[in-house]
Amino acid sequence: MTEALSDRGPLPTMTARPEGLLRQIVRHRHDYLYVLPSLIVMLIVIAYPIYYTIELSFYRTPPNLQMRDKIWTGLDNYGTVLSSASFRAVTLNTLIWTVASTGIAFVLGVCAALSLHREFAGRGMLRALLLIPYVVSAVAASYVWKWLYHSDFGVFGAMSVAVGLTDRPINFIDNIYTVLPSLIVVNIWREFSFAMIMIMAGLQTVPEQLLRAAQVDGANAWQRFWHVTAPHLAGVSMVTVLLLMVANFNSFIIPWIMTGGGPAGASDIWITQIYQIAFGRQRWGVASAYAVILFIVLMGLGYFYVKALTRGDRGRAE
Amino acid sequence: MSVRKRIDGWRWAGRVFLTLLLIFTVLPMVWMILTSVKSQFAAMQYPPQWWPAEPTLQNYVKLLDVTNRVGREFLLYFWNSLYVSTATTILGVAVAVPAAYAFSRFRFPGRTFLFFAVLLRNMFPAVVFLMPLFLLMRWMGLVGTHAALILTYLTFGLPLSIWLLKGFYDNIPVQLEQAARIDGATRFQAFLLIVMPLSMPGIIATAIFSFIGAWNEYVYAATFINDQDRMTLPVGIQRFFAEFATDWPGLMAATFLMSVPVVVMFLVLQKYFVKALTEGAVKA
Amino acid sequence: MNDYLGRVSGHVLSSLACLRRGTAATAALALAALPIAATAQSVDLSQWSPEYIRSIAGTATFDTAGDCSQIVPLDYTGRVSVWWTGPNDASPQIERDINDQFWAAWAATYPNIETDAQNVDYNTLLDKLRTSLLGNAGPMVVRLQILGGVEFGAKGYMQELAPEDVGYDSANFWPGALKSVTYDGAGYGIPTNNETMAFIWNADIFERAGLDPESPPATWDDVVAYSAQIHDRLGIAGYGLVAKQNAGNTPFRFMPQMWAYGGSALDENTDAPTYDSVGLNSPGAIAALQASYDMYVRDQSVPVSALTNTQADNQAPFIAGQLAMMIAHPSEYAKMVDLASLATGADQATAQTVVDNMRYGLIPEGPDRRAVVFGGSNIHIIRDEYVDGGLDEMAARALICFWTSPEWSTKLAWTGSNPGNLDGFRTEWMAERLDTIRFLDVTTSMLPNGIPFPVIPEAPEIMNIIIPDMLQNALTGAMTVEEAANDAAAKVEELLSGL
Repeated sequence: MTEALSDRGPLPTMTARPEGLLRQIVRHRHDYLYVLPSLIVMLIVIAYPIYYTIELSFYRTPPNLQMRDKIWTGLDNYGTVLSSASFRAVTLNTLIWTVASTGIAFVLGVCAALSLHREFAGRGMLRALLLIPYVVSAVAASYVWKWLYHSDFGVFGAMSVAVGLTDRPINFIDNIYTVLPSLIVVNIWREFSFAMIMIMAGLQTVPEQLLRAAQVDGANAWQRFWHVTAPHLAGVSMVTVLLLMVANFNSFIIPWIMTGGGPAGASDIWITQIYQIAFGRQRWGVASAYAVILFIVLMGLGYFYVKALTRGDRGRAE
Repeated sequence: MSVRKRIDGWRWAGRVFLTLLLIFTVLPMVWMILTSVKSQFAAMQYPPQWWPAEPTLQNYVKLLDVTNRVGREFLLYFWNSLYVSTATTILGVAVAVPAAYAFSRFRFPGRTFLFFAVLLRNMFPAVVFLMPLFLLMRWMGLVGTHAALILTYLTFGLPLSIWLLKGFYDNIPVQLEQAARIDGATRFQAFLLIVMPLSMPGIIATAIFSFIGAWNEYVYAATFINDQDRMTLPVGIQRFFAEFATDWPGLMAATFLMSVPVVVMFLVLQKYFVKALTEGAVKA
Repeated sequence: MNDYLGRVSGHVLSSLACLRRGTAATAALALAALPIAATAQSVDLSQWSPEYIRSIAGTATFDTAGDCSQIVPLDYTGRVSVWWTGPNDASPQIERDINDQFWAAWAATYPNIETDAQNVDYNTLLDKLRTSLLGNAGPMVVRLQILGGVEFGAKGYMQELAPEDVGYDSANFWPGALKSVTYDGAGYGIPTNNETMAFIWNADIFERAGLDPESPPATWDDVVAYSAQIHDRLGIAGYGLVAKQNAGNTPFRFMPQMWAYGGSALDENTDAPTYDSVGLNSPGAIAALQASYDMYVRDQSVPVSALTNTQADNQAPFIAGQLAMMIAHPSEYAKMVDLASLATGADQATAQTVVDNMRYGLIPEGPDRRAVVFGGSNIHIIRDEYVDGGLDEMAARALICFWTSPEWSTKLAWTGSNPGNLDGFRTEWMAERLDTIRFLDVTTSMLPNGIPFPVIPEAPEIMNIIIPDMLQNALTGAMTVEEAANDAAAKVEELLSGL
């Protein structure tokens, strides 16, 4: 018994006629089934908390007040956050943290992927070793690096004295100027291999023939990279950078466990500040407002990127 | 002749770079292992012992010895982590695969919005969600259970999983499915029998990311689970080394043991993953 | 001791309040809990000294099961859930053994009460409790450190509770301890144990640095001087300064210093504090901050990692002979003995030297006074509507009666603390402790110098965040000492003025 063609979904050769939204939804109802499980999970576990947080951001919840007795304050919390003395410093820290971590990790990842692209003895082993930091938990990494950086007994400090670089062990995390770069190094250590494997996967899609053709035409290695390889990596790169940026913006464990945002708030980023305000100072309203601000900023960035990414999808769909 | 020199230059640059990168990667882990075989005082010295004067496996023995309480607790946490991570992975794949396929192939109203909403989750700072999520879990009666963690971890992993898989599906030519459908298969059959096998590398990659994410997660596990019997590794390890003692060698030993399973699993699967990836690229 | 009549009338009023509010069971309980034997205080606090403590130890016996059976019958069937910070793997073995004994004795005394006891880590207990209470998923009973309960009392999470409710006399608890469980005139908890910290030093290091090995620095200025001398002569850290932000350790060690110089956070160092005025920018406070600055920046005689250190980070250097002085709990000695027993090879000798040379003394005094933080824990009952599965009040009271009995408040405080119930000082176990635990007489003699932190809900934020921030600002050079003190004072003013 042959089914009507329309029951099996439209074939790509049919042209789409403009139709009403409702009819579109009805026609595509089977498609929604594919996303339904994801949708349900998202709705429950994302929608409610977002709603709750946004709602809470308009209230005031000091330590001696029950949550259900919270006081409506409108946009006051946002004002408090934006005008607070530490906001500028923490924002600067967050920017430095995010941009430096993302950028350097990405560049390292690309270089590593390119270096590993050609076959050589021990390549598999090397790649595996380089992936280990990504796989190790952030908690574990934080403790290990905290020990490495220790101001009194750490090995890095001792090494710098041993080779005669400094008189006293270098102070990495107990110094307000060096603490943020030190933490960024830890973050990069953990993340670069993520970028590496993403780019490696992307490199697989670069056609060998094009590269060989370019070589025959006399292009040097840099030109080959820039004109043949890089365009094929554009999509993967954008995804990687976006994911890294989002992860770094909200990266909590490393700064929190290693320094708790200190000393004197020098390693405080938005997310540790939010945690401190919420759990340490019990100002849930202010913390929620802070979170909403962070979210809006990220959303702006993300929207821009997603637009760029989904541009290429039209050709693949039916 | 000049071409060869130029290639050699890049190749050597690559080798130097890789060596430095390798040192950067491996040095912390080497020091972690060296510390873990020191006794507690040996670690508290300045200048530090570059090589332990009296290496001891006592820290590891303490953690793995089933007869003593520490060992039993450690293994319990290990098992809990294994259970939660595996469940998260299986469910995550089952949920992400169809969704990614739909985003790749179909054009339905709200597609862009939903796709974007999936990413939305990662943009909201997870720690702020702690409280409302706790209330939600309470309402669903899941507080203190592993189900609460699994459900939460699902949402962590979904955005990345869907991104990854969508990329793989984008690379698989539509013509294969069309051919199958002309032969009489329904769309779902085409998806299940033709497309999914081809996207195995992507599925494996998704599984790996999900597993690792769940294994290493700390903040939510610490908030949702109070019962010591149900704790996962990262939280359990914090318990060992709480306020009143910072036993660096013991801590290093514990972090080593905590990392071993994921690293081993990853190493084993990684070869398969890359092999499948290469073959997939060649086929395409 | 002073206001006995006041306490009795206060109690009667609260029992009447119980009657009005509660169920029949509560009413019956309130009636049953009126003072059985209205005796005057059995321990005379005005005579407090190491000799007095020794003289009263072992002079009385108590039958815990018998006493508690008067509150709740021994065959009572019910359930109870409790969260507390018990021993963890870092605790001395004896503490863990006693903990096991306690739960075994409890099960034997009240076999029909189903018990769910969760040992929650010190750093996470408050967070967990806050989150769970928001979701009405809290435990029935919770034991919190002394500063922790007021926030929940202020929010009305806790049920009114006084020693009389479980058959004990308020006169048998430290006034400072009872102050810490009183909010708005009503009591909402019972002290389980109280302790004060002491000053610990390594006599061997003192000797090698040219200091008298048997006497601790008498004043805080001496601490600064000794620390510098030790660092200059031996190249190791002198005083174990801790200044981590957002950590409870920091105020516990800095406030004694501040009070000694005459400074204070609010007016908690006065006899009848009202918590209305700020003392962080007083000359005394600035002097105290200056002392820390001198040690960290000028002399560099304390660990550089002090900015991220808690007391836990001092233990390892101390037992390895790399740190000379620190302020710590009475249990620190037991901890050091444990660490020494784990040492192997050459470390054994080092550790043993440290243990043999470990000395306890009084916290140094300052120009104004000698002071120490009045520490300890209190046990509370959570109101029915916030408890996961509802409150079984009888079972909760039974457990609390058991926990705060003279016998168990002494035993559970074995290495680290002292019984909150002062009758505990008269038990045979106290005599045993005095014989077996080194330095107990020193650590208990500081109790009258104890000052509790301000009993207001904002106290955790002031103590755990504002004070450490002030230290960090001064020590990192981000602000001068005066600026840091004024900044902290301003923050406290702002905090108190809101709502």
